[in-house]
Parts: sequence; C-alpha cells; structure tokens
Amino acid sequence: MSAPGTKKTASGTIRTLVGERDNSLWTALFPLWSVLLGLAAGGLLMLLLDHNPLKIYGDLVSYAFRDIYNIADIFAKATPLILTGLAFAFAFRASLFNIGAQGQFYLGAVAAAACALAFPQLPSIVLLPLCALAAAVAGSLWGGFAGFCKARFNANEFLVSMMSTYVAVAVLDFLVRGPLREAKGEYPQTDVLAESAWIPSVIPGTRFHWGFFLALAVALIAWIILWKTTLGFRIRAVGRNRRAARFAGMNEQRIFLAVFLISGAFAGLAGFMEVNGVQRMVVQGFNPLLGSEGIGIAILGNAHPVGVVLSALLFGALKVGGILVTQTSTIPSSIIAILEGFVMLFVVLSYWLQHRIAAARARRRASEGGDSR
Amino acid sequence: MILSGLFFRAIQMCTPLLLGSLGEVLVERTGVMNMAIEGIFLLGAWAGFTGAYLSGSLLIGFVCAMLTGVLTGALYGWITVYLKQHQIVTGVALNILAAGLGIYLYRVLFGVPLLPLTVESLKPFAVPVLSDLPFIGPVLFRQNVLTYIAFLAMPAGWWLLFRTRTGLILRSTGANPEAVDAAGINVERVQFGAVLVSSALNGLAGAFYSIGYLGLFSNDMIGGRGWIAFALCFLGNWNPLGALLGALIFGIADAAAITLQTSGFSLVPNEFLIALPYILTIVATVLRTQFNVPASLGTPYIKESK
Repeated sequence: MSAPGTKKTASGTIRTLVGERDNSLWTALFPLWSVLLGLAAGGLLMLLLDHNPLKIYGDLVSYAFRDIYNIADIFAKATPLILTGLAFAFAFRASLFNIGAQGQFYLGAVAAAACALAFPQLPSIVLLPLCALAAAVAGSLWGGFAGFCKARFNANEFLVSMMSTYVAVAVLDFLVRGPLREAKGEYPQTDVLAESAWIPSVIPGTRFHWGFFLALAVALIAWIILWKTTLGFRIRAVGRNRRAARFAGMNEQRIFLAVFLISGAFAGLAGFMEVNGVQRMVVQGFNPLLGSEGIGIAILGNAHPVGVVLSALLFGALKVGGILVTQTSTIPSSIIAILEGFVMLFVVLSYWLQHRIAAARARRRASEGGDSR
Repeated sequence: MILSGLFFRAIQMCTPLLLGSLGEVLVERTGVMNMAIEGIFLLGAWAGFTGAYLSGSLLIGFVCAMLTGVLTGALYGWITVYLKQHQIVTGVALNILAAGLGIYLYRVLFGVPLLPLTVESLKPFAVPVLSDLPFIGPVLFRQNVLTYIAFLAMPAGWWLLFRTRTGLILRSTGANPEAVDAAGINVERVQFGAVLVSSALNGLAGAFYSIGYLGLFSNDMIGGRGWIAFALCFLGNWNPLGALLGALIFGIADAAAITLQTSGFSLVPNEFLIALPYILTIVATVLRTQFNVPASLGTPYIKESK
C-alpha cells in the first residue's frame, strides 16, 4: 500500500496541519463541528450548576451581539488573540513549539508601556509606532532566546519557551512593583499612559481600536512570509521533514532562530495592542490566558493565518458573551477555559477522523483503479 | 537550625517532583511523552482535596487523586496512543481544560466559601531511632509518609526499568517498537499502560500540594511544577536516579527561595527568587548536551499494514 493517506511513520495531526489537505466541503466543516461538540460538552458541565445550557448559550450569543459596544468588543478581544495565535501557528509550520507566547506578550506589554511612559510629550504619530516597535522587539528578543538555545545548544525549545514564561511573569511583577510602579505607589501597576499613546478607536466610545487592522496586516505578513518568500519555503520544508531539509542544504539552525524571532515579535505586538489599545496601563498578572488561548486558536485555525483570524474572532465572541454570562449568572468564569479546552480536544479528534476519511478514500481509489484494469 | 530547616523543606518540596518525574521517565521510555502532566497535577490536587474533605480521610483523598490521574491519562492515552494524534497539541488541550475544570468543579461542590476550605494535611512521621540522629534525623526522618514513598520509589523505579523483564519491554518499546511488535508484544498496550501509570503518579504528586502540604486547594497552586517534573525526566537522562539528583537540586532551590523570602532578606528582589527554579531549568536544559533519548520518543507507532 503506498497511498498517501496510509504512509507509515506519519503523525496524523502534523500531516493534516502541515501537509496537503483534502479540500472537499466536508473537511471545511470539521472545525465547525469541533466547536459545536466542544460547546455541547461544556453545556453538560453547566447542568451540574443547575443551568440550562441552551439558555446560557442563548444569553451568550445575545449578549455578544446585544449592541454596538459589545460587537465592537469582539474585535477588541480578537486583536491580541490573532497575534498570539499567529505566534504559535508560525512556529508550528516549522514543527517548532513556541509555548511561551504569554511571556513574550508580557515583555511586549512592559516595553510598550515603558516607552509610552518615558516619552509622553511625543505626538501620537511618533509615539505609537515607537511603542509598537518596542513591543515587537522585546517579544522578539524574548522569543528569540528560545530559538537561540535551540539553534546553538539543541535545547528543547518547548521547555525553554515554557519556562521563560514563568520568568517573564516574575520580570513583569518586579517592574510594576518597582521601577515602573504608579506614582501613587498604591497598587502593583503603572500609571495611566499619556493620551498620545492611546491607539485611536475605530468606533468612538467602544474598545474597538485600529490595532485590529494592524493585527490583520500582521496576519497578511505572516502569510506572505510563509508562502511567498524563500525563508517561508525553508520554514515549511524544515517543518515537513527536518532531515530532508538538511540534505537539501538548508541551515536549520538559522531557521530555528528566525522562526522564534518572528513568532516572538507577533506575541510582543499583542502586548502593544492590549496596553496602548485597551488597558492604557500595565497591571500585574493581566490577561493570563492569552498565550494558551493563542495555541487553541492556532490549532482550530489549522495554523493558517486566515484560519487564525477567523478562530480569534470566534474566541473573541465567546469571551465577550462568556464574560457577561458569568457576570449575570452563577456560572464561574473558568467555564471559558473549559470551553476552549473542549473545543481543542474535539479539533484534535477531528484530525483523526479527517485522516481516517482520507485514508479510506485513498484505499477505495486504489481498489477501484485495480478493478478497471 | 536554619540550615536543617532549609534542608527539611528541600526534601519535602522534592516529593511531588520525584513522583512526577518517575512517571514521566517510565512513560517516555516507551516512546510517549505525557504532556498532560501539568493538568494532571492540578486535577490531582483538586481530587485529593475533594476526596479528603468529603470523606475526612487523607488516604481516600490520595486514592481519588490517583484515580483522577488515571482517568485523565486514559483520555490522553486514547488520543495519542490509539488515535495517533499529536502529543504536544493534545497535552496543551488537556492542560487548558484542567485549568478551568479544577476551579469549576470546586465551585460546583463547595460554592464560594468566604474562607478557603481546609483539611488537616499529612502529618510527619518520625522514624524510630533514625529521627533522633543529629541534623540528619530532623532533615530526613521526620517527613511525611508520601515523602518516604517518593524517595524509595526512585531506586525501585530504577530497578524495575533496568533489572526486570517489564523494564526491558518498556525500554525496548521506546527504542525499537518494531522489534517489540515482532516479539509478539502489543506495543500500544505497553504504551497505554505506561501512560496510565505515569498519570496515577502525577495525580498523587498533585495531591501532595493540596493535602500533603498546604491542606487546601487553589487553582494556581501547581504553577508550572508539573513542567519542572517533566523537565527533570530528561535532565535526568531518562533515568530515575538522574531525576532524583535533579529533584534534590530543585528542592534546595525552592526551599532556599521560600526561606529567603520569609527571612526578609532583600539583597535580590523576591521575584528573582520565585523565578529561580525556572531559570535553573532553562540553564540545565541548555547545558545538557549528551542525551540518551528513547529513539521513537514522540512518534506514534503505526503498525505496518499487511
């Protein structure tokens, strides 16, 4: 048997994510099914608290789309998720695991805030790009460290990036408790940034800011890098078969470093978005799940920039509606993480199913070919 | 006095790391990484607390923790061993799920108590005669039972892995699954069994934090310790005795951080001490160059058809 779907050493998920996909309508619906099944599983847990899941989900949807403010909030929530999702997806294309987007995000947030607090007198047109640059560079260097360890010492990038997140949390805590602490010195947080450092709103009076479009542009850049440049070709080649890429003369060490520098910059920019666009300050321990949510989004979005953007919007709606539901009922906010976890599990299961369907189809094609001869 | 207190705490803090890393060594020797380790630690902490609180017995708490570990491990093992899906991705999904599930189920059972609910945690057990030795006695022989078990489990794990037929099968499954298959042994069953055993150990390790030490449950009580146990597995070169050495170093670092924090020592910021175990993991990960990686680690074994 040498049909593509049944090849021996292949790992299902990686193949489906990175390799060729079946393009029928069926497979396009798989992520949708995963989301629905994930929500159903979460609904069973709501029954434990004597809530009718259908009513909760009905409330969730109606809250998320209740008025222009909430709809705009979906875009605001999706903005950093697009970036942390891209951070994981980009590295995933090279079969590398950047689990540390949370830390890169925190470093980006601190850099953006420090920059805004240091130069409050600059006009927006200079200050905003400066903050964005600072955030991207900080995230890039923090992520690049994991890539460097991988390239130079062949250290396990999964562990290094994972551990560096905990270090980043400590760095952020230290900075907001010490050097960057608010003038009042009351809480572990920075002062509110000068107004010139705020990303302007798209719709006045809402949190939907122009950073969303920057995130879309970054998604486009990620797509261009991956599919339209030599670097991207190399990244995908290393991702698909590291040994073959090495034999083809590609310098994988350089790819490791480049991937983590770029991936870290994406996550760092998420920090800029949250600090300059939404929070307008840095608070200890804010948005603690952004990194892991990014992983879920990347997996749900098939590690493709378009899929990432769509999944981030879905997660954004889930968050907006979910937060309001948990505020107006006795459902705890941890239900959001539960729903995300279930959705991810069903996505993984759907890869298995997709793989099975593709294999069965290949087998059928092979046997039909044999018959007609 | 301070020194013996520090070493006592170091030995104590080692316990869950030992249990977790031993489980990870056993399962990775069969070629499967248990990436759900952090989530199972947390669910174990939850189940241990819940079982102990509701039944009034710590033993039942530890049993509940292990069963919860086995259940979570069964889900993880089913997806990764039998359905051949990606281990890291599946692990991440389960860890996110666990992060929400622990606190959610706590809420379902106990509502929102004004004060955190507590149980009396595991009492120290003084070993007769030995506990009266100067210095060594209070450091080593006035620990709780789980700590003794964890320390004895490491040489036992080494013996199992390198001196028994079971160990030979485990190691061969990771090194050369085709050969194991050809010898008529079911590779998937070995791997799945190892996932269950390691998950039970992880559940027990998690329960140490809730009922072996603090006597309460909080959602952030694990805070990456599962990943440190995961790291110890390969820093210890997939050998229980190597993991034991690593765990001791981490235990000392952890205990030193706590001791320095409580003593009001302010030469270095608190946050640095909190970050120290993680920094140490990164340094150790980078410095370790010679590895004895099980050959098929992380790749699902797919039996050749026909």
